[in-house]
This record gives sequence, structure tokens and C-alpha cells, in this order.
Amino acid sequence: MLFLRRTLPLIIAFVVGMIGILVFYIPHSGAQSLEQELATWDRIVAAFALVLGIYSLMRLHWSRVRRQQAAWGYSFLVFVGFVITTLFAIYNDGIGPFEPQVLNSGPFDWMYKYVQVPADATMFSILAFFIASAAYRTFRARTPEAAILLISAIIVMIGRVPIGASIYQGLPEIAQWMMDVPNLAAKRGILLGVSLGIVATSLRIIFGVERSYLGGGEE
Amino acid sequence: MKEFLLTIDRRIIFIFVALGVIIPSLATVRLPIPITEDVKAIYDTIEEVSAKNGTILISFDYGPGSMPEVQPMALAVLRHCFRKNVKVIGMSHWPTAVGLAQEAFDIASKEFGAQYGEDYTYLGYKPGGGSLVINMGRNFHDAFQKDLQGSNTTELPITKNINGLANFDYVICLAAGNTPDGIWIPFGQERYKFKFGLGCTAVMAPDQYPYLQSGQMNGMMGGLAGAAEYETLIETSGKAIAGMGAQSFVHLIIIAFIILGNVMYFLYGRQKGGAQ
Repeated sequence: MLFLRRTLPLIIAFVVGMIGILVFYIPHSGAQSLEQELATWDRIVAAFALVLGIYSLMRLHWSRVRRQQAAWGYSFLVFVGFVITTLFAIYNDGIGPFEPQVLNSGPFDWMYKYVQVPADATMFSILAFFIASAAYRTFRARTPEAAILLISAIIVMIGRVPIGASIYQGLPEIAQWMMDVPNLAAKRGILLGVSLGIVATSLRIIFGVERSYLGGGEE
Repeated sequence: MKEFLLTIDRRIIFIFVALGVIIPSLATVRLPIPITEDVKAIYDTIEEVSAKNGTILISFDYGPGSMPEVQPMALAVLRHCFRKNVKVIGMSHWPTAVGLAQEAFDIASKEFGAQYGEDYTYLGYKPGGGSLVINMGRNFHDAFQKDLQGSNTTELPITKNINGLANFDYVICLAAGNTPDGIWIPFGQERYKFKFGLGCTAVMAPDQYPYLQSGQMNGMMGGLAGAAEYETLIETSGKAIAGMGAQSFVHLIIIAFIILGNVMYFLYGRQKGGAQ
């Protein structure tokens, strides 16, 4: 069992990881075909991961409903929404699940347009109110660094909207310079650091040093 | 009064923000919209594609939450393409984008009489992210065998001559997540060297500047302001231009509250540890 639980996944990770790296640098048609095949397999695995994700979500919310934890009613609504949406998708406006999904009519489309779209858009738009309140409460020039951040934020906020140019013609240009120079430098530095971290973590996984993805902790 | 200004109730701030949205929207405040080079670059590229009767790919990678910012970009770009007889193929890395993308195609195609299958098609959502882009790069028909309406991509006039991503004259990603820098650039643009443009939410825009400077991205529309610039360029007033008044005033309100908070903090708050 140890072979199936630990050794085999480590071998698969090593072999597939090494092939994935090598085919990137080999322009031979055979290597490119292999890469295409690997990409297709990756998509198939991703589709199964979606099923696992749904199972995991349902198990989490079922446990909340069963134990009647705080706000368990929302977990119950997850099931209601999931079952109704799935049934509507299968019904597919009367033509069944094996035909292309009908758009612009039917209950599935209605659920999307009149439940998901307004609910999701409302959740996002509420952010504007909370950002305004949080900015007033927390955006303080307590240190010189915080003062620089504050002034930069104000210039960019006002320079990126049309009223900025109406207040002072040069504001959009100053805001653009801030995005093009200091912002770019900082973002590139962060990006390089994150990328090197991803390379290091990927190599640790490929060579079996990092094993947390196998689950169960260190043995 | 001092205590009041140090700790303004959040509901008062909410009322100001609400008024900042409602009043300019009802009064239809129109402000001059300056055009940035990054947005103009996308417009110019579509003009170039139009000159050679080319085909572009638009990846709709957003959802209802980011719809107010990104959907006006989708409509503006589609209107520009259909007006200039640029063929458009759409697809999505996000399942929640399918209804929004189809709606944008329906609206824009009706306005300009664009024909499904000849001038445009929408392929729908497929999982896979980077792997899907790798597959599309070398064998487009294998990656998308059918479009959303069930037509074979090997038979549709608009898709039958597309073999891979390099056949597209331009690829535009309309995004609310990591699809431009996490999927399209590393797995697509870097390998197949197509021209790549981006429309994204305002919060994403600062992260994209390294790709703009490196040339991996030739243009960018950032947030509702970017969409408004594009609407200005195509001389079509849509929801983005209409929203600029509200966005400008809400930004001013937020800045006013930040300044007020800091003034009160320096006058009185430091002794008390700041307004909480």
C-alpha cells in the first residue's frame, strides 16, 4: 500500500515533471507531439479535479448542515442552488443534456441572468462602500513611507479618472508616469521573486523533497 | 464635533458614496475623456487587422462580479470589429463568462448585421487553462472541435482555416483574474508570438505593466476608465462613458474622506492613537 500511496505518486510527479520541462526546450516534432499529448491529459485530469472539487464542497456543507453549525441555512442553500442549477442544465430547455446548452431561453439561462448575475454584481459593487469606509479609517500618514503611499494613491486615483484632467491637465501624465516607472519597477521585482519561488517549489515537488501534496503529513 | 469627525459612522460614508454614484448617473454628467497610449494601441491594432480582413480571438475570462467593468470593453471591441469587418472568434477560460460573452455577441452582431459562422463564432468554455492554450497553439480544431452552438470548427467558414494560435492576427484577453499573465502570456504569446492585448479590471492593471514594457502585451484597457477610452475612440457612447461621472465623483469623495481622516488624525488623533 505504501507503494501506491507514496512511491507511485512520487515516480509519476518526477517522470511527468521532467518530461514537461524537457519538451519545452526540444523543438523536435516528436517532443512537440508529446507536449500536445501531455496537455490533453492535463485537461482530462482537470475535468476530474472539477468532480473532486464538487464532492469536497458538498461534503463540507453537508457536515455543516448535519451538525447544525452557525449559519447552517446558507449551507443548505448551497444544495438547493446546486440541485436546481444541475437539473435545469440537464433539462436544457426541453432538449436534454446531450445537445449544446440553450442560451437566451429556458430556466438555466433565467437562473444565470436573473439570479447569478445580479447577486454576483451586487456583492462586488458593495466593495466600493467598504473601500471608502476602510480608506477613511486606516489610510493614515503615520510614517514617511505611509505618507508617500498616501500621496501616490491620491494622485493615481484622481489621475486615472476623467475629472483629474479637468482639475489639472498634467495629473493623468503624472499618474501614468507613476504606473510606468515606480509601479513597474516594484511589480517586476515582485514578479521575479515569485517566479523564482515557483521554480524552486516545482523542483522540490519534482524531486520528491516537497511531499505535502500527497496528504497525511510527514511519515 | 471633534469626536464626530474623528469617528465618522460608516453609514454616513456609505450615504456619501451612494449619492456620489446616483447623482452623476441621473444628471448624466459628461466629462472629457483623455486617451492613453495603451488603449489607443489596441484600437490601432484592430484597425490594422481590418485593413487585411483578418481574424482576432477574444478570450472572455471574467464573471458577473466584474461585469460592470469588463463587459463594456467586450461590447466596445466587438462593435469596433464588426463595424470594420474584422472576424471574431470568442472563447472562455471562465465558465461564468459564457452567458455574458454570448450576450455581447448577440448585441453587437445585431447592431452591425454580423453573420454567425461567417463573421463571428463563440466557442464557449473549456477547462485546462495553460494546457488548453498549448493545444490551441498547434491544433486549434482538436482543442475546440465544436463551437457553443454545436457546429464543427472544421466546417465553419470562420474557423476552418485556423490551424493554430499563430493564425490569429490579434488575441485579446478580457480578464478579471490571472488568465493574461498566468495563461495567455507564458503558454500562448511567448510560444506562438501572436500580438496580444488586454482588457482587465482596474485592480489588475498595475500588475500588467511589466508585460506592457516587455512588449509581450501591446496594449491594455484598465477598468471602466479604459473601457470609456475605447468607447470614445469608436465614437459610441456606452455604459463606460456613462459611468465615468459616477466614478470620478466617488473617487473625489473617497479622497476627501482620506484627507479629512488625516487632518483630524494630525490635529487630535495622535494623542488618542488615531481614529478607529
